[in-house]
Order: sequence, then structure tokens, then C-alpha cells
Amino acid sequence: MEPIIQFAPYTGWVYPNETVFEWSVLIAVYPYLTGLVAGAFTVSSLYQVFGFQRLKPVAHMALLTSLSFMIFVPTPLLLHLGHPERAFNSTITPHLTSAMAMFGFFASFYVALLILEGWFAYRPFIVEQAQKRTDLLGRFYRLLTLGSYDVSEHAMRYDRKWIFALAVIGIPAAHGLHGYVGFMYGSLKSREWWSSDLMPVIFLFSAIISGVSLLAVLYVATCKMRKVPVDLGCLKGLAYTIWAFIMVALVLEGLEFANIVYKGREGVDMIMQYVTGPLLIPYFILQFAVGAITPFLWLSYMIWRGTTGKALVIGVTVCACLVLFSVFMMRWNVVIGGQEISKTGKGLLSYHLPLFGKEGALVAILLTMAPLGLLYVLTRLFPPWSDAATHAHS
Amino acid sequence: MPKHIVRLITLLVTLLAVAAIAKPFLTVDSFYRFGHYRADSVTEIADKELVYQTPRYCHGCHTERRAQWSAGSHKTVICEVCHGPAQGHPQNGKLAIPTDTVKLCTLCHEAMPGRPATQPQIQVAQHSGGQQCNVCHNPHSPKISTAAAKVTGNAAAGKDSAAACSGCHGADGNSPNDTWPNLAGQNAAYLARILAAYKSGDQNDAAMTPLAQALSDTEIQNLAAYYAGLNCKASTGGKPVGDAAAGEALAANCVACHGPAGRGSNPAWPKLAAQKPGYLVNVLKAFKAGLRKDPMMAGAAKSLSDTDIANLAAYYAAQSCQSTK
Amino acid sequence: MKKEDSAPTLAARRAFLAKLGGAATCAGAALGAATLGVVPRAAAKPEVTPDAASFPTKDYDWTKHQWGFGVDATKCIGCLRCVEACKRENDVPANAHQFRTWVERYVHVEGDAQVHIDSQQDPVNIEASGSEKTFRFANRYKDAKVDKAFFVPKLCNHCTHPACVQVCPTGATYRTKDGVVLIDETYCIGCRYCVQACPYGARYFNEEKGVADKCTWCYHRITKGLQPACVEVCPVGARMFGDQNDKQSRISLFIRNSRVQVLRPESGNAPNVFYVGIDKEVN
Repeated sequence: MEPIIQFAPYTGWVYPNETVFEWSVLIAVYPYLTGLVAGAFTVSSLYQVFGFQRLKPVAHMALLTSLSFMIFVPTPLLLHLGHPERAFNSTITPHLTSAMAMFGFFASFYVALLILEGWFAYRPFIVEQAQKRTDLLGRFYRLLTLGSYDVSEHAMRYDRKWIFALAVIGIPAAHGLHGYVGFMYGSLKSREWWSSDLMPVIFLFSAIISGVSLLAVLYVATCKMRKVPVDLGCLKGLAYTIWAFIMVALVLEGLEFANIVYKGREGVDMIMQYVTGPLLIPYFILQFAVGAITPFLWLSYMIWRGTTGKALVIGVTVCACLVLFSVFMMRWNVVIGGQEISKTGKGLLSYHLPLFGKEGALVAILLTMAPLGLLYVLTRLFPPWSDAATHAHS
Repeated sequence: MPKHIVRLITLLVTLLAVAAIAKPFLTVDSFYRFGHYRADSVTEIADKELVYQTPRYCHGCHTERRAQWSAGSHKTVICEVCHGPAQGHPQNGKLAIPTDTVKLCTLCHEAMPGRPATQPQIQVAQHSGGQQCNVCHNPHSPKISTAAAKVTGNAAAGKDSAAACSGCHGADGNSPNDTWPNLAGQNAAYLARILAAYKSGDQNDAAMTPLAQALSDTEIQNLAAYYAGLNCKASTGGKPVGDAAAGEALAANCVACHGPAGRGSNPAWPKLAAQKPGYLVNVLKAFKAGLRKDPMMAGAAKSLSDTDIANLAAYYAAQSCQSTK
Repeated sequence: MKKEDSAPTLAARRAFLAKLGGAATCAGAALGAATLGVVPRAAAKPEVTPDAASFPTKDYDWTKHQWGFGVDATKCIGCLRCVEACKRENDVPANAHQFRTWVERYVHVEGDAQVHIDSQQDPVNIEASGSEKTFRFANRYKDAKVDKAFFVPKLCNHCTHPACVQVCPTGATYRTKDGVVLIDETYCIGCRYCVQACPYGARYFNEEKGVADKCTWCYHRITKGLQPACVEVCPVGARMFGDQNDKQSRISLFIRNSRVQVLRPESGNAPNVFYVGIDKEVN
């Protein structure tokens, strides 16, 4: 069968091999997912490590969210690979000079860490369920207990130490998992739009705001679904976190762009033409104005006026949604945008996002939504609500 | 340590140990032998089959072509450029012989900005009137020898020798008869060349051969110089042998060598303007039949019908031979 | 930060972390040794065994050569025979979007500030050739006032410090001992990181095979004493190839007797294709 290759239209001068976009929307979805993973884990760590007590209501949800999204993280990559069945080549014989080879190890380590931390956090619940249930699920919980029903104070002390250690190790692990992606782009000398020392940090900070925003939206949504009142202190804590990290993200992204313009290296003409042309709406309007500046101003206003109650809930939820959108646009603008500027520095290509197909819009949306389905299942198996089942911390 | 911690640690360590032990079993053969890659792949790539075989392969059988080619100006163009790769030849049959030579040859020889001046280039529209390139050019030795040797003869001495020629060719070099050609104003280099050809036997004519054989090389030079300096005259009267207008259309194909309206371009080739029509008809027919030998003219005449020949002759006969120079 | 009363003391926490850190380091070291130390030693065979005497083929020893490529862009006539020959020799996908080698045309038209650059894959040129499988430059500047024009052939530079090899996660692409960068098409997973990393646009993704692909300097030909196909078919000698170890080879003489340049030297990749006659806009 004739393979279907999409050839991109272009203007100006591009290398003959550039008319095929190698990294599609799936490669923009992938850092979006790992960013949500890292960001959600940051919320959990803010509680576990830094003692932000007000975030307790979302702490366990954050772990489950991180895990749900982490399970789906390899899927856009596997769909994109030319030979997904050989994917383990990079784990069996990892080329240590390659940032991408680190993926297998970061991912495995982080998944293990998440599972472990969740296990420790939910141990009392698991033990209780193992003892109480007699159905198939009971078998599942009994398996998870590893044969030990010890929830004495002595055991719990060990558990708390492990949770703390895992939470501490988890911060660099989660950020390494997401940061190496930024490093992959930032370290490439072939594209002026990508090549930047700030790239990993930009990815990380925008990851944090996306993860925290996701938690905010999920928290409000689950409260509404469970018909319980939203803990405004917790929501405010999330809002403050988003607000603070948006500032850092904005500064970093602004700096990166300013550097390109100010240094004015070869190829900057094409970048300026691109940014003021095809990228004007996705970059300045959607990513910055709508997705970052607007929520920043709105949050600032709410913080300044001490907004509370329903107005706060609505405000934070809308801001969180805008931030989620903005961070996706950032991934899009980096991944797709970078490839739309030719390596020659003298031409522009345009990416066409197909609706169907292995690397189309529908698949991208599905992969982003599917973790929510898994999250639903996990919240059934391991209820994270602080007002319900018992946890390692009371 | 609590039981569950011990079991957990045991589980983790076991998993790590299994991974570490499994790695060499899972690693493919020959990996790490010379570096971080599968050494066998180097051999696999090196063992791939050749598609292009290089001229040495062709020369094994095609010796005559080789002789032509290696002595000609296309010796830097390998056979497979025009005929395609020789993999599987002759087992899989013949290689393609290009038919659309205009399309093929202009790939390299179309005049195009950016091509260095050392590359022979032509303005396609004005070169051959759309004829195929191999009508005039031998693709295996394409350069048309434009060796227009300088004629160093003495015109005055030539005049003395020319007395013997005036019977057929006219006292002033303008022939009285439709069959014998005008010589006045003809290119000296051409005249020298054709006389030498009659003398050596490269060309054969019942009348000219014995006459030329009696001439010395110096006399040939002198005669050429003499006739070249004479004034040509327009051809007079006579019934038209063909349709000059139709002939003009055909003559577009002849411009590259014989000049516009047959007034000449390269001195090695004859001017045709105001030449005797009867002579032109005979000569073209002789080229077509192979009686008069010239590979280019043979190609050019091959596609001409008798009517075409008559029309061409009529056209050229009607042209003015006074050069606009 | 408010801590719970039953929480361990700071000192106890530190002690635990220290123990954990020690355990992690030991485990990591053990794992590292297992994967990195043991395996290469076990897998590496000493090279004195009889079948390893000549590698990669019995008639060719890769330790005896260092290949290099030269391009004299002043000679190139833009006939594109090299592009077609390469496609046939190496089974490159027959389309106008994936090339192992190509030719660029640079034209300065009087009055235009920007130079006009195109290559054989430009739609105007494809129209002139009539097909995506054969190539020809359309004579589009025939009637323009051209100040300056020239052709530049390009191909993989087989760099000494290739960015593409550095970023490959599996080790599917590598540099051989005789200086050629190759791709193992049975090991490549098709992530296209290398395609992104190459500053010269020399690589492409072969959809049919699902792997990355690029010019190999016709490794299967040069190991048999022949020239790469593009060098073989060039009618004007714009391309040349040879052994940099041999001081009298065509490439060594070319480098020694001309002022040669490489493309994008600032990339740090140290390319091994040496150009004479390229201009300020060529990058």
C-alpha cells in the first residue's frame, strides 16, 4: 500500500527534505502530558514536603492524577514511532549521549516512584479494604498488601519516612522527566527557534502551572460531582501557586523571545516574519494574551480584592482552564512552530493538522482525555477525598 | 523493620536484578563490538548490490562504442547516465536507447543562467528547429569537428591554376550550368577541405576525383584562396525547381551550420545562398543515398523527401549571397 | 511550617535520608555496573579471531581509510544526473520530497535585493521535468536580467562530530572507523530525533521502512573500490571522493591545492564535505 505522507506547502527557500513535518501534534501532546504529570506531582509535594497544609484536600488526588497521566505518557510516542515494537531498544542499549534515551529510565523510575508513593499513602486504606472485602476486588487489595496488615504506629512511622523520601526524590524525578524534553529542544543547534539555554526551565515552569491548573479544575469538578462544598482555602492555595508560577513562566518565556530578537542572529528576519505573521494569533494572542496575561491579571485582581465564595471558584476555574489552554499552545508553538521555520532561515512551511489518522486531531484529543477516564477508575479504587477514607496522614 | 518494608525492598531489588541480568540476553548480536552500534549492520550495508556498474563493465562487450566514446568529448559522461543503470544487463534484456534526445541532451546543454561558460550550451529554440539532437550529433562523440583550417593560399597563384576549372565552374567562379556549383565567394576553408577530400578519396566524384588528384596541396590552398575572394552573383532565370516558401520552413533546421539564409556560419561548412538549385538537389540526394559521405549531412538528409529537397534547393537558390557583413 | 507531634525529629529524618541515599547509591552503582561494565566486557570479542581479520568485508579493511568528499561548485551545471542516479542506486523513495542528495540554484536577479534559491523539488521544476521521479531545473530565469547565478550540490556531510549520532537514543546511527555515518535500518525505532538534529537537512524519514535514512556515500560501492554513484555520473567532475589517508588521492589534492570551505562550521559538527566555489548566501 502506498504510504500516505503529508507534504507541507512552503514559501521561500527550504531544504528539500524539510517538506515533511517529522514531529506532529502527538509530539506536542507528549510534553503536555508529562507537564501535567510534573505539575500535579508538584502540588502533592507542596503538601508532603513543604507542608502547605491548605493543599491537603487535593494532595492525594494530585498523586492519582499524576499517575493516570503518567500511564498514558508513552502512548503518543508509541503511535509516532516508525517501529514501536523496537521501542525498548533505547532502554536495552541506551545511547548515553542522547537526551531521548533518558526517557525510558526517567519514565520507568518515575512510574515506580509514583506507584510506591501512592501505595504508601493508601496503605491503611488498602489494608482495611483487604480485610473487609470478600469479592474479586478484595483479592486485588490483598495482593497489594504484600501479605502484611501491619498498620501499627511503628509501621506507620516507617511509611511516613518513605512517603517523605519519595516525595523529595520525586521532585527532581518528575522535573527530570519533563525537563529532559525541554532540554531536547533547547540543545538542538539546528533550529534557531528551539536552540536556547532557557528551554528546559520554560518547559518546567509552564508544566507546573498546567499541572496545578489541572488540579484546580479537577478539584472543583469533583466537588460539584460529589456535591460537597469546595474548600476555599485549598482553592486559594492552588490559585496562589498558579499566580506565582505564571509570573516566573511569563518572565522566562519573555526573556527567551527577547534574547532571540535582541541577539539578532542569522535567521532572525525569518523568525520575526513568522512571529508577526502565521504565529501572531497562536503565540501573542492565544498563548500570551488570552492564556497567560488574562488569568494572571484576573488572579491578581482576586488576590488583591480578597475574592471569596462563588466568585473565587468561578474565577479560579476559568483562569485554570485558560492556563491549561495556554500551556498546550506553548507546546504547540514550540514543537510545530519550530518546524515551520525552515532550517535554512530563509523559508516558512505550514503544518496541516489532519482530523483523522494515526497522528490526527482526534487521536490527540483522545490521548489527552483518556487519562481522565483512568483517573475516574483510580478514584474508585483509591478514594482520595480527605473527608472520607483513612490515609497515612490524618 | 516492618514486614511490608522488607517485602517491598526485596521486590524492588529482585526487579532490578532481573533487569540487569536480562540486559545482555536482550542485547542484539554484535552490539558494542566496535562502539555503540550493531557491528553486523556495517557488513550488511557494505554487502548491498551495485546498481550502476560503471563504464568498465560496459566496455567488456561494447568495444566499438567504447572506442568512439573514449576519444570523444563525452568521455566524462558515463554510459549509464543516458542508458540507465546496467544492473541485470544483459540478462534482463537491452538497456533503453533514448529517443527523445532533445529532452535528454538539453538537461546538460540548454543555455541556462548559472551554468559555467565552459559547458557547451545552446539556445534550444534557435538551434535546430526542434530536430532531434542525434540528427547531427553522434551522442558517443558529439563534438562536431569545427576544424576550419586557416587557408594560407595565394589568390594570385590560384588564379593561374583556376584556368582549368573555369570550363565547368565559370570564368568568374559563377557556374554557367545548373548542375555544377558556383564557387565564387564560397568559404575558403570549405573549398580546401572538399578538394583535399576528393584528392584523398574521402569523397568520390567521377569528375572531381581525377582533377583533385592532379593538384598539389599548395595548389589546393591557392585555389581556395582565389575563389573565396571572388564575387558571387545571384542565380538568374531558370524554371523554379520547387516551392521556395516551403523550403524556407525546412531551412530553419539548417541555420545552425549553414547560417541564416544560407549565408554561412562556420567557415568549414559551405555557404548555400544563391547556389545552383540543380546542384543542391543532386548533392542532397547524394547525401541521402550515402554516395556523398558526411555523417551530419547523412542524418540531416535522411528525413528529407524528394519534394523537400526540391523546395530547399529552390529556397537557397533564391537567396541573396551578398553578405550583410 | 507546622509539623505533627508524632513526626520524627529533624535529626532522625536526616539520618533516614542519609541511609536511603546510601542505599540508592549502592543499588544504582550495582545496576550501573551490571549494565555498563559487565555487558561490554562479555560482548566484546578480541579482534584476533580469524573471521575478524578484515572488517567489514573480507576484501576491505576499514581501518585503512578515511573517506572525504569534495564539491567544486564552480563546475556544477545543474543537470541533476547525480540526484537521479542516487535515487536509483540506493532505492530512495521515488518522490520529490525525500532526497539523499540534491542541487541548489542561486540566482541574483538585477533589482532584487534577495537572492532566489530553488532546488529540483520546487513545484516549478517538477512541472518542467513532468514527473516526481525524474528531475530537471526549469529555465525560469531565461528572460530575466541575471547578475550572478550558480549551482551548489549538497549531500550528507558525514561529520566528524555528528549531531545526529549524538542524539540517537538507541545507537541505530553511528560513525564507522573509516569516517562514514551510517544507519542500521533494523535497529532504528523511527523517532526522527536525528532528522531534527541535523543542521544541514540531510536526513529524512522513510515512511515505507519506518526508519530514518540518508546518504551513505554509497558505502556498498566505496568498500568495493568504486565511487559513490553521484560522483560516478557527474559529467563535469563537480563532485569528487577519495581517501584522505592517501596524500595523492583526488580529495587530498583538492583540499591541499584549493581554498576549501565547509557548510555551517559554527555548528561544531566538523563536516567532511569540502566545498570550493560556494558563496555568502549558501548555508
